[in-house]
Order: sequence, then C-alpha cells, then structure tokens
Amino acid sequence: MTRHPRQPSCTPAEPTRRRRDLAAVGLGLLLLVATAGCTGPVRSDGVYASKAAATAGAAGSAVQTAELAVQEAAAGRLFSRGLAQTLAEAASDAGDVQATFDAIQPPDRRSEVLRGQLDRLLTPAASALADLRIAARWGDTAALPSVAAPLPELAAELQQFQEAHQ
Amino acid sequence: MRKLLEIALGVLTAIGGFVDIGDLVASTETGARFGLGLAWVLVVGVLGIILYAEMAGRVASVSGRAVFDLVRERLGAGVGLLNLAASFFITLLTLAAEIGGVALSLQLATSVNYLLFVPIVGFLVWLVCWRVRFEVMDNAVGLLGLALVVVAVAVWRAHPDWGAMWHSATHPVVPGTESHTAYWYFAIALLGSAMTPYEVFFFSSGAVEQRWTRSDLVVNRLNVYIGFPLGGLLALALMVAAALVLEPRGIDPSHLSQAALPTSLVLGKLGLALALLGFFACTSGAALETALSCGYSVAQYLGWPWGKFLKPVQAPRFQLVVLASITLGAGLLLTTLDPVKLTEYAIVLSAAALPLTYLPLLIVANDPAYLGDKVNSRLSNAIASAYLAVLVVASVATIPLMIVSKAGGG
Repeated sequence: MTRHPRQPSCTPAEPTRRRRDLAAVGLGLLLLVATAGCTGPVRSDGVYASKAAATAGAAGSAVQTAELAVQEAAAGRLFSRGLAQTLAEAASDAGDVQATFDAIQPPDRRSEVLRGQLDRLLTPAASALADLRIAARWGDTAALPSVAAPLPELAAELQQFQEAHQ
Repeated sequence: MRKLLEIALGVLTAIGGFVDIGDLVASTETGARFGLGLAWVLVVGVLGIILYAEMAGRVASVSGRAVFDLVRERLGAGVGLLNLAASFFITLLTLAAEIGGVALSLQLATSVNYLLFVPIVGFLVWLVCWRVRFEVMDNAVGLLGLALVVVAVAVWRAHPDWGAMWHSATHPVVPGTESHTAYWYFAIALLGSAMTPYEVFFFSSGAVEQRWTRSDLVVNRLNVYIGFPLGGLLALALMVAAALVLEPRGIDPSHLSQAALPTSLVLGKLGLALALLGFFACTSGAALETALSCGYSVAQYLGWPWGKFLKPVQAPRFQLVVLASITLGAGLLLTTLDPVKLTEYAIVLSAAALPLTYLPLLIVANDPAYLGDKVNSRLSNAIASAYLAVLVVASVATIPLMIVSKAGGG
C-alpha cells in the first residue's frame, strides 16, 4: 500500500511568504507616511508655482513672527531670552525655506523667471532676519526697530506673491 | 468636607492636566491657519474623551482593574496584542513629544538649546515615576498646569468681537489660502490630540492606583464632566488666541515660542511667564502620564505586577518598561527630530489608532460580568457607537489624507 503523505492546507513556505508580504506592505506604508511631507521632483510649471507660493507663505510667516516679536519687545512685553529665541527660529525658518525652494529644479524657463522673482524677496528677508537674530543675541535691543524696518514691506510683498501664484 | 476637598482637587487637576503638547501644537496651529473653522472638532473631541474616560473610570472603579487588564481577558490575547501594539507605539511617540515639549519650554526660558535638556528631563521623569507618590505627582503637575488659564485671560483681555467669533466657529469655512484636504487633515489631527489613547489608559490605571471603588463613581463623573470640559476650554483658548493674533498676520506656527506670542502681546511679561510655566507643567505632567502609561499597558497585558502603589522591587518589570520607554523617547529626540513635527505625527497617527483603543473599552463597559448593574446605559451606548463610527472613518481617512495633503502642507 502506497502511503500518501497528508497534504497540508498550505505549504510551510506560505506563512513565511505572507509574513514577508505583510512586512513589505507595512514598510511601504511607513515610507509613504514618513515621506508625506517631503518635496518631490517638479514636472510642471503649475506645480512649481504652487510650491513657490507655499514657500512665500512660509517665509512670510517667519517675517511676520519676527515683526511681532520685535513689536512686543519694544513695548516691554517680551523677555530678552524669549526674543532672541523667537528671532533665531524665524531666521532659521527663512533660511530653510529658501534652501529647500532653491533645491527644486525649475521645469521650464517660465518657472526659472518665477524662481528669480521669489529669490529677490527671500534673500533680503533671510538677511534681515539674520541681522535681527544677531542684534538680539548681542542684546542690542535699541537697534531692533531700525533693523526690523524693512519687514512690513517684505511681508506684504511675500503675501502678494503667495496670493498671485496660489 | 474631606470628600469635597478631594473632589475639588480632582476637578482642578483634571483641568490643569487636560492640555498636553498635542493640544498646544494642534490648537495653536489650527487657530493660526483656519481661525475658528475647526473649533467644532475640538468640541467633538472633548465630548468623545468625556464619554470614554467616564467609561474607563467606571470600569476601574467597579471592577478594581484597569482597561488593558480586562481587554486581554475579555477579548483574547490576539485582539489584546493588536490593541497593545497600536496603543504602545502611539504612547511612546507621544512620550517623546512630551519630553521634547518640556525641553522646548526650558529652552524658551533660558535660550539654551533644547537638546541639552532632553537627557535631564528624561532622567527627572524617570526619577519622579520611580520615587514620587502617585497622588503627589498627579496633584502637583495638575495644579501647576492651571497656569495655562492665563491664555484664556489673555483672550478675554484682548476684547475680541465675540459675535464674530461665534459666527466663524458655527459657520466654518476653509480659508482661501488652504486646501480642503489640509482642512480635513488638521480636523483629524485635532481629534487625535483631544482623544489620544494614553488618556484613557492613564485615567483607568490612575483610578486603580488611587484605589477607587463604587463609592468613587461620583468623583469619577465630576472629574470627567466638570474637569475635562474646563480643560477643553484651555485648548479652545489656545486656538482662539492664535486665531486672533497669528492668523491675521499669516503666521503658521512651527515652534512653541509662537504659541506664547498672543499671551505676551496682551498680558506682557507676567502673562508670558505664566504661559511658559503652563507649557512646562502641562508637558511635564503629560510626560509622566505617558511614561507610566507605557508601563501600565505592557504590564497589564502581560499580567505583571504594576503600579506606583507597589514598591519598585514588587513591580520591577513595570518599572523597567517605564525606564526603557523614557530612554527610547529621549533617544528619539536626540536624533534631532523636531519635537513639534514629532507631535504632529504622533497626534495624527494617534487618530489612526483610535478605534483600536476605544472599541475594546466599549465592549468591556457593556459586560455585566465586570460591571454588574453599572454597564453602559442605552443612551451612552448609542452615543459611544456613533463616536466609534466617526473614529473608524477618521482612522481610515488618516493616511490617505496625510499623503494627499502632504502632511497638511498643501
């Protein structure tokens, strides 16, 4: 009599494969979540313009934060350490958004023009915020209002840029 | 008289302990970006946590056992493990975010880089978990957290147009600068911050730590029905303050310092000092709660002795999990991961895991074997089921919304 080995409902390799598939799906999901906020390559000028608008918004936020902090400090409503911290964060944010935007390859000539327009706003903004940070760290509170003088105009221009390209 | 004092203390600590780094970040960010257009989500979240925390406290008071302890027994090891895995991961992320919040508060007060504070804060959190009595710890941080009332005072002193605020809260619109996907992404984040899973684990385990019995059901209800809504008002005050000061200026907050600017603008240095104390206290309290919750969840699932009412030598594995969680949380921050970004991810992922926490609790709260005549009423079951449906929808939508909205970025 021939012995027929009992057929298992699935081969021993199947659970391992299923586990591997599950692990792959899990890893893929984790990667998707982890990169959800990352900047990807840009292939159309529309997407590039929307990224430029978002960059202008983020830079405008940093400029407005610094302006508010300087106003509060001038009115004696902010501790010098809090002021220095807030200005350092604003300067760092402005530098970061400019660096991130500049790392994106413009997809065409029109986008390149847009990049130039935005850079003409981002560079003075980052520079003014760096000057403010330095003055605050030196404790030169009296100089802050004059260093911060260009901020309202820069903030308005960044907002206009954001609204125009959204 | 003693009972009244106990109730008053419980309510006050529930108010002061309600806000954590998730609420600080989510309320300020949503207020600055959407005005009061997402205030309704905060109301939904606070009502949800009231409903389920009352259930968790009642289960612990009547059965004398905490939620995880019963989930495994009632639903089996498999479901219990799924519940544990999701909740522990989220609570660990939240613990890291809270330690980061404490370190950022200290950075704001001293200008010293927050990373230098992270190991010190981690050590102090562990020391308090190890040495300080539960009641002392709970009451101290809860009462200190009341300093956040200063944000509500700042809103009141800013003399806002209450009619316009009510209109914008009751007629929510998506601002022109924001997308609908970002709106719903932040709605889920806000819900996750209000109903974060560790709150029910800590509440039910805390009830066991304090040896609540059936006679404490009134204390449970008063804590939850009075303390939580008033605590929720503090979160709402943060949102309103941001809507009044940050939104008109187009400030999208990405630092804790920006959450303090509205208070200092209205109340000056004293207001700012109290706000910073409030930030420090509420993140410290939540760091302790999340660290203990990590220990509670694992020890209760595995049936190990647990709790601060036991000496560390009597619950060594519980203490070890607490220590390991704090070390992991602090280690995660020392990779220079931005604590505010970490908080955003923790609350959103927390929203994704909410049904895994609340469904088992709902099942246990309906089991007469544990609760006798104190099982859920039909009304509370109807409301809890409706909430669960909302949580399932939010949970399913979380990851797709995160991807489509680029984590709320656009």
